[in-house]
Amino acid sequence: MTSVTFPSRLGFQGRLVVLALALACASPNTAFAWDAATTHAGMTKRALAASRFHAVLAHQLGRPLGILEPLRLDLGTLDPDTARLLKDRLALLDPAGGYRPSADDVATSGAWVEAGAVLSMTPPERVRNHFFNPGTGRGLDDGPGLSGTVHAVRLVLDEGGATVRDAATGQAFSLDGMSALAWIEARQNDQGLIAFLDGLERSVSAGQPRERETALVRSLLALGGMVAVLEDAGQPAFVRNDFRGEFLAQGAGSAFERYVADRYGAVALPPAAHAMARPDLASFFAASDGKGLAQTTQQRFFSPGTLPDDFDIGAGDTSAVADSLANQSLKFPLPKVAGVDVAASGRTRYVKQDGRRVLAYQRNGNRLHFFLDQTVYADTARQWLPEVEAYAAGMVDYLLRGKVEIAVADHSATFTVAGLSGALETGAALHVFSERADGSRQEIAVRPLATGASVVVDVPHDAKKLAAFVRSRDGGGPLFAVGEKSLVVIAAD
Amino acid sequence: MRSPSGDRFAVALLALVLAAVASCGPIIENAPFSVRPDALQPGDLLGPFDGVVLDAETERPIAGVTVFGSWGFERGIGVQGPAGMRELSVETAADGRYQIPTPEDLPGGGSMRLRRFTLVVYRRGYVAYRSDFKFNGDARHDFSQHGNKVRLEKWHSSYQHRHHLAFVGGGKAIAKAAAWEIQPASLEYEGVAAPTMVETATGQAGAVSVQMLDASPLLSVEEVRGVTGFAGEFEVGRLMDHVRSDVYDSRHFKAKGKPEAFDVGLRVWFPGSVAAEEQFHKLTAELPAAVATEEIGDRSLRAHGGDVLGLAFLLREKGIVVQLSCGASQCTDAGMILRLAKLVESHMGELHLPAEKATPGTKTQGKDTP
Repeated sequence: MTSVTFPSRLGFQGRLVVLALALACASPNTAFAWDAATTHAGMTKRALAASRFHAVLAHQLGRPLGILEPLRLDLGTLDPDTARLLKDRLALLDPAGGYRPSADDVATSGAWVEAGAVLSMTPPERVRNHFFNPGTGRGLDDGPGLSGTVHAVRLVLDEGGATVRDAATGQAFSLDGMSALAWIEARQNDQGLIAFLDGLERSVSAGQPRERETALVRSLLALGGMVAVLEDAGQPAFVRNDFRGEFLAQGAGSAFERYVADRYGAVALPPAAHAMARPDLASFFAASDGKGLAQTTQQRFFSPGTLPDDFDIGAGDTSAVADSLANQSLKFPLPKVAGVDVAASGRTRYVKQDGRRVLAYQRNGNRLHFFLDQTVYADTARQWLPEVEAYAAGMVDYLLRGKVEIAVADHSATFTVAGLSGALETGAALHVFSERADGSRQEIAVRPLATGASVVVDVPHDAKKLAAFVRSRDGGGPLFAVGEKSLVVIAAD
Repeated sequence: MRSPSGDRFAVALLALVLAAVASCGPIIENAPFSVRPDALQPGDLLGPFDGVVLDAETERPIAGVTVFGSWGFERGIGVQGPAGMRELSVETAADGRYQIPTPEDLPGGGSMRLRRFTLVVYRRGYVAYRSDFKFNGDARHDFSQHGNKVRLEKWHSSYQHRHHLAFVGGGKAIAKAAAWEIQPASLEYEGVAAPTMVETATGQAGAVSVQMLDASPLLSVEEVRGVTGFAGEFEVGRLMDHVRSDVYDSRHFKAKGKPEAFDVGLRVWFPGSVAAEEQFHKLTAELPAAVATEEIGDRSLRAHGGDVLGLAFLLREKGIVVQLSCGASQCTDAGMILRLAKLVESHMGELHLPAEKATPGTKTQGKDTP
């Protein structure tokens, strides 16, 4: 084990500088949580295509082109600090993927969600909060001893990664973070659940069209941010608390994620499997049925820092003995090592599960060495990417499950909430808005609403459109149900 | 206890290191493409780039094609994220050639690196070209920095615009050139239509035009006046809520100087027999106060919202859906809108259809343009 000693006369800041000098000369390691610009964007695109996203936009939110509806982010409607930060982050995006907004901040609704997925790692240190150990419910905690400090100092050296004060006060990324689930629900996450729900609410309730459009964009950015966090639960290192093994130990970053980025880019990822329905937000990550994405990923795949330790084979050792020795050193109970061939020497062989190669090994002399290679990456990506996308599609459907159905007859409208997961929370209220010909909206009714009940509201004579929402909870957790109905058959020129 | 002078020294030294690191240019990653088509030597991600755009069938150069290049920068230690971009778009010259120079003012500092260069080539009527992947998802191995040959394949009706838009990506220039695909792609998401657009002219390689649906023969100003008795003037144009295409057209009879309640609107969809059924079903669900009436065509409905009456009908065999809207001040009794609908139905033989087709999405012999 490497140890670092400091001259005793140096204080904390002096040690920081010594570390800085040592590290400044080293070429930086490069690595990728699912590569943001390509893999995250591409997986999110496929998740949206497999979800009800288009239908919700087109038929519930009054955006007739749905996933292709052009939406403008009007930064002038935001407070100056928020607008500047958002503009700075959006300016970093690569247009090659098709999700970067135009110079006048217009992109399609689907592109905004993809941009949100990419922004969830912009700056990249945000990924510290994307880890989730389904066994403990905890996030990243992989910086024991000096390694966390070393990483924090390296970020100080990296423009924009952290400030000297951040490092000195422990606020910089030192290989620990919030759990992914806690991060999604955290108020300080500008791309989390609260930002998503707040944005959706304003996209219905704001008085002017450009305010509603901007609110919808911010909600979609938050949706992309949450989807990206879930997608990272499909990356073994993120659910096996393995930042150092995956991202720092190999010198060139995550070989697996690099493989996926190069093999599939942003536009050639496999389509999603059928959208995965789950009962609540947490169960997309982990649940008592064992079908959360973090659980299945942790149980099926190894990461570089959680492989079996290498060991020496004895003269009479059988395959069963080798399996047993390998399994003794595992940091997680699954996947198990089985069927190790101790006879062969010098050839790469594979441990298979369900026909998929999950672990490579070689016997050189008496030494049995375990590793992951491109064959394992290829099998993992081929089988797992569509599943990860399916979970992401399911989360989109879950978050957009609520629907307000509006039926208009004569001069009254009847509102009913559909798509609920169980009963609506007591005290839920339906907010109804009337839109005039100039696009301005005002609230015309707030009525208590019970599960299965309908609300009837008189339609104002100048109404061109009705919109309504319910922000509450049902059996699935936080709920936002929304619906809009045009009252105009002829569209004016 | 730390000494103040030691602290000052440490902070100054750290500032010096930070300044030194920040002044570095970006690391340029290895290019995944060769410098020339016949060379093994890797190219340079920074460029410059040059090549020619050809029609894949005729091998003739195509002029006026949008060629877009973008450089993606990333930054981070341990984990990387987007950290900047440069983009540039050009059009091919008369000989089909393009040149993209090396970008200026590169971002730098710390772990900044140039991660990728992507070239996107777009021309309506063809499948777009990307330097990294093909439209079928295969990796592209024939892109080169210099002397690159972009062979554009003609669009085919079996392709879907929504998949094409997802594939194209690209920046402002590409978005502008491909904007017209949004409408048919949206219809595909709705399950309504996979538009078929027929090439009608091929004077030069790549010079194609699209036949649009034309609803103008279906209803005239005189016919509206004859039914409703309206004595005023109409301005005739198109409704603006959907974009005209080969599967959709509209007419807007706007009563001059009168409120909306005097207007008449006509929408016509020609998506093919199967999708027409779905479109009619969609109207049934979406139009306010829609009621099935079965008074014209294979199926029909009436709707009303505010001061506007609506009537829609389906011609199943032709694969056509018609929606009429008439303001209550124009159609003063319920029979008027039905009479207008009968007139529209009677003119169906005069409708300018872009191509005879029964089932969209199937392959046709014609050359199609997206």
